[in-house]
Amino acid sequence: MYLSVVIEVESTITMSQERFWVLIAKKIAKEANEQELIELNQYIQDHPEWQFAIQNLENIWEIPLPNNKAEAEDAFMLHLNKIAGNNTNDFLEEQNTPKNSIRIIPKWVYYAAASLVIVVGFTYSLFKPSFSPALVKVQLESNEVSTRLGSKTQVKLPDGSIVWLNGGSKLVYQKEYGKILREVSLIGEGYFDVVKNKEVPFIINTKSIKIKVLGTIFNVKAYPEDKQTETSLIKGKIEVTIKNRPDNKIILSPNEKLIVENELIEAQNKRKSIELIPAVSINKLKFISPDSSVAENQWVENKLVFRDQTFEELALMMERWYNIKLEIQSTSLKSTRMNGNFEKETIDQAIEALKLIIPFKTYQKGNTIIIYQ
Amino acid sequence: MHSSNSVGGNEEIKDLLVAIAYNNDQSAFRSLFIQLHGKLKQFSFSIVRSEEEAEDIVSELFVLIVQRKEQLCQLESPLYYFYTTVRNMSLNLLKKQKRRAGLSMDQWQVQLNSIYFRPDLLMITEEMVLKIKMAVNSLPNRCRLIFKLIKEDGLKYKEVAELLDISIKTVEAQMAIAMRRMAQSMQVDLQSKPILEKRVKK
Repeated sequence: MYLSVVIEVESTITMSQERFWVLIAKKIAKEANEQELIELNQYIQDHPEWQFAIQNLENIWEIPLPNNKAEAEDAFMLHLNKIAGNNTNDFLEEQNTPKNSIRIIPKWVYYAAASLVIVVGFTYSLFKPSFSPALVKVQLESNEVSTRLGSKTQVKLPDGSIVWLNGGSKLVYQKEYGKILREVSLIGEGYFDVVKNKEVPFIINTKSIKIKVLGTIFNVKAYPEDKQTETSLIKGKIEVTIKNRPDNKIILSPNEKLIVENELIEAQNKRKSIELIPAVSINKLKFISPDSSVAENQWVENKLVFRDQTFEELALMMERWYNIKLEIQSTSLKSTRMNGNFEKETIDQAIEALKLIIPFKTYQKGNTIIIYQ
Repeated sequence: MHSSNSVGGNEEIKDLLVAIAYNNDQSAFRSLFIQLHGKLKQFSFSIVRSEEEAEDIVSELFVLIVQRKEQLCQLESPLYYFYTTVRNMSLNLLKKQKRRAGLSMDQWQVQLNSIYFRPDLLMITEEMVLKIKMAVNSLPNRCRLIFKLIKEDGLKYKEVAELLDISIKTVEAQMAIAMRRMAQSMQVDLQSKPILEKRVKK
């Protein structure tokens, strides 16, 4: 079942009512002229039932925008960094550089810079001439890219391989990346398009598995709070080693997905038991009809796709997608399975759409939406 | 009455531009960036659907602002110039990447930031606040975009019409729809009174 929000059709308004709302809007937006205001006052007097709503609309209009100053300040720093990369120390000096010279810095430097700014969180003094170039230099040695919840990024590695990082994820790679070994570590979810190089294998480390590839496309989902680590192979061939069983190598073929149960592996580690717990399974990728694209990598296309997923799993995906907290209070709700796509829906629309499939109630407490029955 | 919408409005922007152009005032440049960054990035994001690309576009705009600071002081509405430039940069990027999605304004998705819930400021119940929120969220894309550009971004009707290449009449009509939908969502407590809008019965 696909979810979408139905939009009511405007077809029942007569002219004068139309005019009434046009004038209300103009008045509130301060676009109305004197004549229009007089005309409107007559309408309002004839229809006192709207006075309460109009007063509220005026109040709503005056609500100030929420203050995102911290984010804007971060962005300002990044902006200065970018300009600094264009050999301009004093940013207000005339710049004769071409308009698109910003692109001279490879994107990954910018992303590395972004993550460093977030991670280090240093206080800065804006107008020291030496400030910006120094910062860029430091970033060249720091190869760590992280994304906030609700945002995604694309990282181009020095060898040309591309990694899309989903929200709340972190990719770290060594300064020497590419020389003898292409090795990265991943927390969270990444979609990898690895450039072919038979001489230098590409290795990804996550908390529970190690993946070795030569050149291919695949998705790795390894969020520490998830119960499972998933590796979905789209193209090529990859070799997966589970960290606590280094001797067992699993070869994945295209359209296969390897699921490793994180908790069971940890439990085995602790007890050192040789019990045969099915901690690993290989499944087929989930295809979405009708275009038979694969569900596992839809986030790269800005789509949140879920197939046969429990509400609990979906809630985690939605938390990262929308950067909010979801708290499901009923255990039966948690284990309800569902299918769907979210693409353009806002969080409120998504919640309303879910309510259509399974009845539940919600209330909001700060950044958390509480879900109950 | 002081309008909150005047923050980041044209008068303030012009003052900052003058300070930047003629006094080389760095703190004015910083203020201008901080005031406009969020709005312009959101506008670009609604078209390019990528945080990084939207960030780059805003950054490019500010490079342009420094390059053309003297000319910008002459403009009647620098704000309108900024939005047009961001629109053009965003559309050019889509064309360069051969991406079709986003080329049409009806695909531009925006979220309203200021319809957040302060029942203390509004004399209404939490329940009604949710209904208003639902009403806003279910507005058609185009309607929400126009409403946001006017309410939150501080553009005039005429500027929005030019920015989106539509007529002022369309802007008026879309604003009317937004206001009516919101007003209707507050109408629950007054069920006993006659409702202005009469549905055509078929």
